[in-house]
Amino acid sequence: MKIYLKYGALISPLGNDIGSHFNALLHHESGIQLQKEEGFDGAALYLSKIPWLTENRYNTLLSKICDDLLVNVSTALLQSPKTAIILSTTKANMEEVDADSFASSRRIISEKFQNPNETIILSNACISGVLAINLAADYIQMGTFDEVVVIGIDVLNDFVINGFQSLRALSDEPCLPFDENRKGVSLGEACGAIVVSNKGGADFSVEYLGGASSNDANHISGPSRTGEGLVRVVNKTLDRSNSKKEEINYISAHGTATLFNDEMEAIGFNRLGLENVPINSFKGNFGHTLGAAGIVEVLMCMVSMEKNTLFKSVGFEKLGTTVPLTVLSENLDLDLHVVLKTASGFGGGNAALLMRKIG
Amino acid sequence: MKIVAHSYVNSKGVFLNGDCVQTRVDLEVHFLNDLYRKLELNYPKFYKMDTLSKSALLADFVLTPYYTEKPELEDQLQLIFANDESSKQTDLKFIDSYELKENASPSLFVYTLPNIVTGELAIKHKWYGENTFFILPDFQTKFYVEQMEMSFARGNKYCLCGWMSNKTEENEECFLFLVSQSENKNVTNEIENILNTYRNE
Repeated sequence: MKIYLKYGALISPLGNDIGSHFNALLHHESGIQLQKEEGFDGAALYLSKIPWLTENRYNTLLSKICDDLLVNVSTALLQSPKTAIILSTTKANMEEVDADSFASSRRIISEKFQNPNETIILSNACISGVLAINLAADYIQMGTFDEVVVIGIDVLNDFVINGFQSLRALSDEPCLPFDENRKGVSLGEACGAIVVSNKGGADFSVEYLGGASSNDANHISGPSRTGEGLVRVVNKTLDRSNSKKEEINYISAHGTATLFNDEMEAIGFNRLGLENVPINSFKGNFGHTLGAAGIVEVLMCMVSMEKNTLFKSVGFEKLGTTVPLTVLSENLDLDLHVVLKTASGFGGGNAALLMRKIG
Repeated sequence: MKIVAHSYVNSKGVFLNGDCVQTRVDLEVHFLNDLYRKLELNYPKFYKMDTLSKSALLADFVLTPYYTEKPELEDQLQLIFANDESSKQTDLKFIDSYELKENASPSLFVYTLPNIVTGELAIKHKWYGENTFFILPDFQTKFYVEQMEMSFARGNKYCLCGWMSNKTEENEECFLFLVSQSENKNVTNEIENILNTYRNE
């Protein structure tokens, strides 16, 4: 059985639809800007913040993506008992943490789509988005559902900003993934949606080949020094996809721009023999959007496959890892076939998936 | 599917396969700390953990004999965990740390993700396999069985499933069950009955 990934919707500081994101990435645009009085001590911080999102930020953004989906995807599909909705988020609505930070997500999705199935919520730190797509594909494979709409969302709030600041993980300039001068993460917010389906159809789609997750079994908040979890998850993904690593002609990395994460990925990809495959991180464009990141970045991989254009890894100038990587320092026109997406995160988790261009 | 073993932890004690292994003794300290001492566990990191991870660690400890002689656990065990409100208890403590104490605590922040629990177990046992953490309104046997079916179809040989609730202090519970792919048996009713029995102890 073939499984297909289709565009759903995308909202970030760079735009409110897929087309505007293609243009933004073509021109190396970034949503990361200096925002006043954001930090714990009232300091200015570089964040990728959606400018029009002011009050009731999480619920407003989730409602907007649902409205966009109702336009982009048929109402019949969203309402169908053979359609499931999976939500990928790390913190959901922290404005409502005193009551239940996850209740509004279920309420909004149920009201907007009128779908009889209970929304499935995955909360697995930074790998949630890739995991959610893998889970959606499993549901299709099992025949439980014909279509699964996967929504990834996280918004900026004091909680997350103070947290990353307390870990001293934030960069004091826009993040520089894989660069020798990288200093840490720039946080961002976004919401993206992908439709995973058992049917291809007329609209642009890519074929989902397989995916997996793994754990470093090493540290709860620091990446493995050896890239062990990443190596295992990529090998398992290739195995389940019946694909060979030689077929991969582009990698969308996690690339948070912390010293340890990017180094870990470089070591992992070298152990896998993938150091000569073009690679980028979208964190320079979107910042780290946590539970949304996997969805947003797979959407951008799909754009790359549709347009046969690889995007420059924004913020990258000179390689800053101890082993080689082929980081995209400019846009590159390339006839894409097989694309690998990876993610790694807190809790020691890693996730990966493989996609193939149709035709 | 076959249930290999199961365990449960709440303020009454630690249970294994339906039997009480250790009851709470000292009512002056949090029951999780009391049970840890009475079981004479030697895992000093325990004291740094939040209540989610502490309760999972205790429930996991009594299951340990069932992990031996199963080399598949290293790479073909999936952890399927869920709870109802993520890391709410630690989230509120972390918010207090920056709102009341004016110092955002990094050691609290690292526990404000529910999947840290599965990370802790992976570290303890050197399990490199798949991990997923869900937020469910309540314990749903059907959901776990569905996840296990997909996991086994992907090639995993075992699933360690976990349900934990930790909305308020002293009301934490953790239910773990280890399931193997072997035997073609419907375990839905069995899982349902096991948890109900534990809750009514």
